[in-house]
Amino acid sequence: MFTIISPRVGTPGDKFEPSEDINTEALIEGGFIKSDKTPTKSAKTVETSLEE
Amino acid sequence: MAISTYLSNPSLTVNAVDLSDQCTSATLTVKYDALESSAFGNSSRSYVAGLGDHELVCELFMSYAASETYATLAALVGTQTTVVMKPTSSAVGATNPSFTLTGTYLEALPVIDASLGELSSISLTFKGGTYAAAVA
Repeated sequence: MFTIISPRVGTPGDKFEPSEDINTEALIEGGFIKSDKTPTKSAKTVETSLEE
Repeated sequence: MAISTYLSNPSLTVNAVDLSDQCTSATLTVKYDALESSAFGNSSRSYVAGLGDHELVCELFMSYAASETYATLAALVGTQTTVVMKPTSSAVGATNPSFTLTGTYLEALPVIDASLGELSSISLTFKGGTYAAAVA
């Protein structure tokens, strides 16, 4: 879910499993951890021509 | 003979970030409101515990470098977080208990405090939250 970047949080590269009251957004914003979630792709727009 | 403990190397984590090497003092106070329960027939005032009103006050050197004080605290002001103190950085145990405030509120963050010829430091107060002590 999260990976440690800064040694202030743990061993860099290890998984970070936050307890319930840890503000993970603040940790991401501060550059201490990163989210492992892959960004979801937006739906492709396909051009279709209307048949007459 | 009484044995006192000299706490020269306590551990402080704020929102899971270890800020011990930026901290010069910290006091976690466990406090409960005193509700007076004195009644007719009592010869002295008596009290019972009300709501917990715990707080952690700490002094930190300010640093704006990556993964340092400002990066840790900037997004926490005005929110609730968790702070943990231990007498030493060693593992938690009977002789090294951990003291935790969960859901404690950081009301204010002095973003800059500069004095000529001095290292910049800030004072923080985390208010409220649920207190717990652990020995394992």
